[in-house]
Amino acid sequence: MALRVSRRRFLQTSTGAVAGLSLATLGPAPAHAQKRELTFLSWNHFVPAADDELRRQAELFSKQAGVTVRVDTIAHLQLPAKFAAEAQAQSGHDLRLSYDADPFLYEHQLADVGDIVDDLGKRYGGWYPFAKEGCQTASGWKAVPWFWISFPATYNMAHFKQAGLETPKTWAELLHHGKVLKKQGNPVGIAISHCADANTTFWSVLWSHGGKVLEADGKTPAITSDKTAQVIEWYKELYRDAMEPEVLSWDDASNNRCILAGKCSWIHNPISPYALAVTKKMPIADDINHHSSPGGPAGIHSAPPINLLAVWKFSKNIPLAKEFIQFLFRKENYDPWIVASQGFNHPPLKHLADHPIWAQNPKLAMLPKEAEYAHVRGWPAKPNAAVALLQVNYVLPDMVAKAVNGMPTKRAMAWAEDQVKLAVQGKLKEGGA
Amino acid sequence: MAVGQRLLLIVGLVAYPFAMAIYFSLSDYWVGSPGRFIGLQNFRDVLGNEIFRQTVQNSFVFAGIAVALKTVLGIWLAMLLFRPLRFKRLVRAAVLLPWVIPTALSTLAWGWMFDSLYSVVNWTAIHLGIVSPPGPNWLGMPAYAMTAVITVNVWRGLPFFAITVLAGLVSIPREYYEAAEVDGAGSWGGFRHVTLPLLKPVLAVVVLFSTIFTFSDFNIVQVLTRGGPVNTTHLFATLAYQVGLSGGNLGQGAAISLFLFPMLAAIVFVQLRYIRRE
Repeated sequence: MALRVSRRRFLQTSTGAVAGLSLATLGPAPAHAQKRELTFLSWNHFVPAADDELRRQAELFSKQAGVTVRVDTIAHLQLPAKFAAEAQAQSGHDLRLSYDADPFLYEHQLADVGDIVDDLGKRYGGWYPFAKEGCQTASGWKAVPWFWISFPATYNMAHFKQAGLETPKTWAELLHHGKVLKKQGNPVGIAISHCADANTTFWSVLWSHGGKVLEADGKTPAITSDKTAQVIEWYKELYRDAMEPEVLSWDDASNNRCILAGKCSWIHNPISPYALAVTKKMPIADDINHHSSPGGPAGIHSAPPINLLAVWKFSKNIPLAKEFIQFLFRKENYDPWIVASQGFNHPPLKHLADHPIWAQNPKLAMLPKEAEYAHVRGWPAKPNAAVALLQVNYVLPDMVAKAVNGMPTKRAMAWAEDQVKLAVQGKLKEGGA
Repeated sequence: MAVGQRLLLIVGLVAYPFAMAIYFSLSDYWVGSPGRFIGLQNFRDVLGNEIFRQTVQNSFVFAGIAVALKTVLGIWLAMLLFRPLRFKRLVRAAVLLPWVIPTALSTLAWGWMFDSLYSVVNWTAIHLGIVSPPGPNWLGMPAYAMTAVITVNVWRGLPFFAITVLAGLVSIPREYYEAAEVDGAGSWGGFRHVTLPLLKPVLAVVVLFSTIFTFSDFNIVQVLTRGGPVNTTHLFATLAYQVGLSGGNLGQGAAISLFLFPMLAAIVFVQLRYIRRE
C-alpha cells in the first residue's frame, strides 16, 4: 500500500476538496430568471386547517408580489433545536415562528422589526401589552406578536352534572371538585411532566397564589416563598386525590386524549380538543365546554402561549419578510385564518380581536376575556433568557414532580431555586440578557 | 482511496467536529453568539448540577442492565436460531426486523404500548389477571420508566447480538461437540466448555460495540420520556440536547456530551486489551 503522497497527488486532492467546499458554501448558482423565494418555518398547528389557510395566503402573496413563499411546518417541540441549528449555520429560513422569551435568547440573531410593530399597532387599535412584551429586547423589537392562545379550562359537562357540581372558580374549588370527580371515575388532568402544558399551568397556579419565580429585576430568585409552598401542597393534594399518576408521563397531547376518551372530567388546555371533536364529528363534542381559567387568593392569572414572528438577521429577504408579515395581518387575511383555526388563534391587536367567532358560540364566548388575565412568563420580571431556560429545562414542573413523588416541599423548592440561580448566572455570563 | 482523501475524510468527519466540541465546551458559547474562553468552568458547572449527576447514574443503570440483558438473551436467541428449524432464512430475517426499522418509528409504537390511557401492555396484563387496574404507570414512575426505556433498547439491540453470535456459533467445528460428548459432557457442559470459550472473541467485540451504542443512545429516551419523569431517564445525549440545543447553551451541552468520551475510552481500552489477549 502506497502510504507516501506525491506532491502532485496532494495538490490534486486538496484542490478538488477546496473546489467542492466552496461550491457547497456558495449554494446553487444564481439564476436570474429564477423567482425570489421567501421561506417560513412554523409549527404544525394544533388545528391543522389553520396551516392550510396559511399556505393558501402564502400562495396568494406569492402571486401578488411575484415571489415564491415556502411554508415549512414541524412539530413544536422540535423547533428550538432547529432554531439553534439555523442560528449556528447562519442559514436556513428567512422568517420563523418565535414564542415567549425566545427573542431574548436570540436577541443578536434577529432583525429589528420595530417599524412594522409600530405600523400595525397604529392601524389596528394597538397591541395587548402582554403580547408585545416578549418582543422588545434591549437592542430593539426582535419579533412581531402573531397570535396568542387562550388557555381556559376544558371540562366535560356530563361528568359535572352527574356529580352535581358547578364549574370551579378557584384552584381550591377545583381540588374539592376533583376529589369527587375522581371517585366517580373522572379524574382531573394537569400534566406534571416535560411538556409545554405543564409549564403553562404552573405559572397560572403560581401567580393566582401570589407567587413568583424571579423578582421584578429579572435576576433575583424569588421562588422560595410561602406562596410557592402553598402551590406545591395544592399540587400534592390534587395529584393524590383528584388525578392519576399518569400525569407524570404526559406530553402535550395526552390531556387532549384523556378528555376526548371520556375519562378526564377537567383539563387546563387551549380549545384544541373541542376543535378536534367538532371537526371529526365526535359525539363527545356536545359534552365538552370551556370556562375561565380558575383564580386564587391573588386573582385570576394566566400564561397563555404567545406566538410571534421573527426574521433572521442573516436573511437576504428582510424587507420581503416584513411585507409578508404585514400581508398576513390584513383584516381580509387575518379573519379567515382565525376562522380556519376555529377560534384557537387570538389576535394580539385590539381591533382584530372583535371577530364574531367567539361571541357566536357560547362555548367559546369567554375566551377573548382571558387576555385580561394574561402575562408573559417570568412576570413580574420582564421576559428574559433565564426564563426561557427555565422553560426548556422544565424546572417548574420538575419541582412539583419531585414533591408529589415524596420529596419534602422545602427541599423541592431549594432544588428549584438552585436551578433558577444557574439559569440566571448562565445568561448573565453572556452579558446580553 | 488515496491517502490524502482518507486524511481529508478523517479530518473533515471526525477530527473537526470533535475539535469543535472541545472548543465549545471550553467557552461560554451560546447559540449564535460566540463565547469567550472560560477554561473548565462548564465542566465545573455541569458537575455541580444535580440533574447531571442524576444523568450519570441513569446512564450506568441503563447501559449496565441493557447490555447484560442483551448479552444473555442474545446468546440464548442465537442458540435457538442455530438449531435446525423450518423456514430458517425467514425466521432469521424476521429476527433482524427490530434492528432494521427506524428507531424513532418503532419507539413511537412502543410509546403507544406504554401510553397511560391506551397501553396494550397493561390491557393484556389486566385481562390476564396479572396486575390490577389501571396497571403500572409506565412512563410516569422513575423505576417503570427506566424499565420501559431498557426494554425498548434490549428489543432493538437484541438482533445485532443474536445474529453476530450466530455467526460465531456457525464457525465452531462440530467435532468439538462430538469430542465433548465422548468425554461425557451434556448439553450444559458442551455450552460451558466448548461454545462459550470459542464465542468469547466475538462476544467481546459485540459487547464493546453495544456498550458504546447503549451509552450514547438518544432516540429511545427522547421519544418515550424526553428524560422524564423528573430527569430519571435522561442520558448524556438527551441532556446535552436539552441544554445545548433546546436551551441554547452550546458550551455546557458540549461539556455534558464530552463526559462520555473518557468513560467510553476507558471501556474501549479495557475491552480491546482483553480481545488482544485472547
